Amino acid sequence: MEQTTKLPESVKYDLTFAREIYSLENGSYIKQCMQCGMCAISCATRDIMDYSPRRLFNLIKLGKKDEVLKSNTFWYCTSCCTCKARCPRGIPLVDVMHDLKRYAIKNGYVDYPQAAFCKAFWAEVAGRGKVFEGGVTARFYLIRGLDEVLKAMEMKDIGINMLKRGRLPMFPPKKIKGMGNLKKIIRKAQEIQRKEEAR
Amino acid sequence: MKYSFYPGCSMEATAQANLVSIKAVASALDLQLEEIHDWNCCGATVASGVVGDFTQQVMTGRNLAIAEPKGQDVVVGCSSCYLSLAVTNKRFREDEHFRALANEALAEGGYKYNGTLRVRQFLEVVINDVGFEKIAKKVKRPLKGLKVAGYVGCQTVRAIPYEFDDPEYPVLMDRLTEALGATATPFPMKARCCGSSNAIADTKIVLDSALKIFESASQGGAQLMVTPCPMCQLNLDAYQQLVNKVHGTSYNMPILFFTQLMAIAFDLPPDAWALKYNIVPPGAALASFGVG
Ligand code: SF4
Ligand code: SF4
Repeated sequence: MEQTTKLPESVKYDLTFAREIYSLENGSYIKQCMQCGMCAISCATRDIMDYSPRRLFNLIKLGKKDEVLKSNTFWYCTSCCTCKARCPRGIPLVDVMHDLKRYAIKNGYVDYPQAAFCKAFWAEVAGRGKVFEGGVTARFYLIRGLDEVLKAMEMKDIGINMLKRGRLPMFPPKKIKGMGNLKKIIRKAQEIQRKEEAR
Repeated sequence: MKYSFYPGCSMEATAQANLVSIKAVASALDLQLEEIHDWNCCGATVASGVVGDFTQQVMTGRNLAIAEPKGQDVVVGCSSCYLSLAVTNKRFREDEHFRALANEALAEGGYKYNGTLRVRQFLEVVINDVGFEKIAKKVKRPLKGLKVAGYVGCQTVRAIPYEFDDPEYPVLMDRLTEALGATATPFPMKARCCGSSNAIADTKIVLDSALKIFESASQGGAQLMVTPCPMCQLNLDAYQQLVNKVHGTSYNMPILFFTQLMAIAFDLPPDAWALKYNIVPPGAALASFGVG
């Protein structure tokens, strides 16, 4: 029999991308999503997300790499855990969102300011073993550039209030004493994590 | 009772009021908090977005490994740290494969964690190990008539759902408020997210979230809000003026750590109240109790 209908673009599954996401630490949970929509109605930031978590998972299944990685969904996830507590399939959505953030950063999708924030935060941990909030802010602006600094000038009142109230120490806390061993631990953990994800 | 104490980074900076009041309240209740030696950052909800959950949890595990030989429950005063430490601890306890791999990494630094500890929020310790009755007996300045909105926030009760309170409609902080003599007001948004770490990256998220929370607390008639979470406290306190400016509102809602309110109700020395760190002044709400 002659094939008369061509599959429309939207249902051409590109499994390479999906498989890559499934191989991330919490990625395989996505396969269990039954599209019930509980996460979508629960999400604290759904109204400003491009796609609800449910729709995002569907796009991953469909292999829509660009749509997924350019979406703001996982960046706007505030890790409030509401969806994780409610998902009837027990999917730890927050943890999946963490994986997607990491995957996006690794693949150069870093347009959202939240990506810069994550990187700034990590730089503090990796350098000192503790986070200096002033340092995170400074690094954030270094990554994002002058535009964001100018925007931040509008928020100077907040900074001044915090300073007045003794809540913005000017100097960072001391490095932890075990910085050397923490670095070794992190290096080894990264190595193990890569091996596990490649399995 | 003795505990290992994990303060977390914010208590050394924006949330010093948390540290001061927790220490004071703990000592008033005979809870001994021994700071974990050379503790490191738990990664909050941010680090894993760069290095992955496994690496973050291993890093968090270092703190638990250091604390383990003492055999004391680990007490955490920050919701984000609590989330990170409690979830990591659960994995060490329940997931053998994870424990083996994580210990392989920890061994590089000379550590090992067997998963024998309990990780607990200070709020839960106060409620379960001390109890409402004993707390009520400690009250020397009953906060009668004070209307308080108990803002539990999201992570404390949802890190591990049903660990100690209902993740949808938590009640324990309200009962604590009442043990202090105050009135807990109706507050449907008490476990809603404040926008968390977006204050710097995307302020609008925090301003919009905070607006909904203020609306809900005010409708219930609250004069002030208490919270266990440094992030919630900072967002609602420091950004309140901007919420008013952007949304044309005029909220004037003091945001206290619940331990600050306890320190006041117990009539501990004013230093223990740590009110000098509060940006929205709590004076008006507390003046009739001789605080201000
Ligand atoms: S709540 Fe869970 S199962 Fe339902 S749509 Fe969301 S992720 Fe899928
Ligand atoms: S954890 Fe993230 S995705 Fe889930 S409800 Fe909260 S903000 Fe939304």
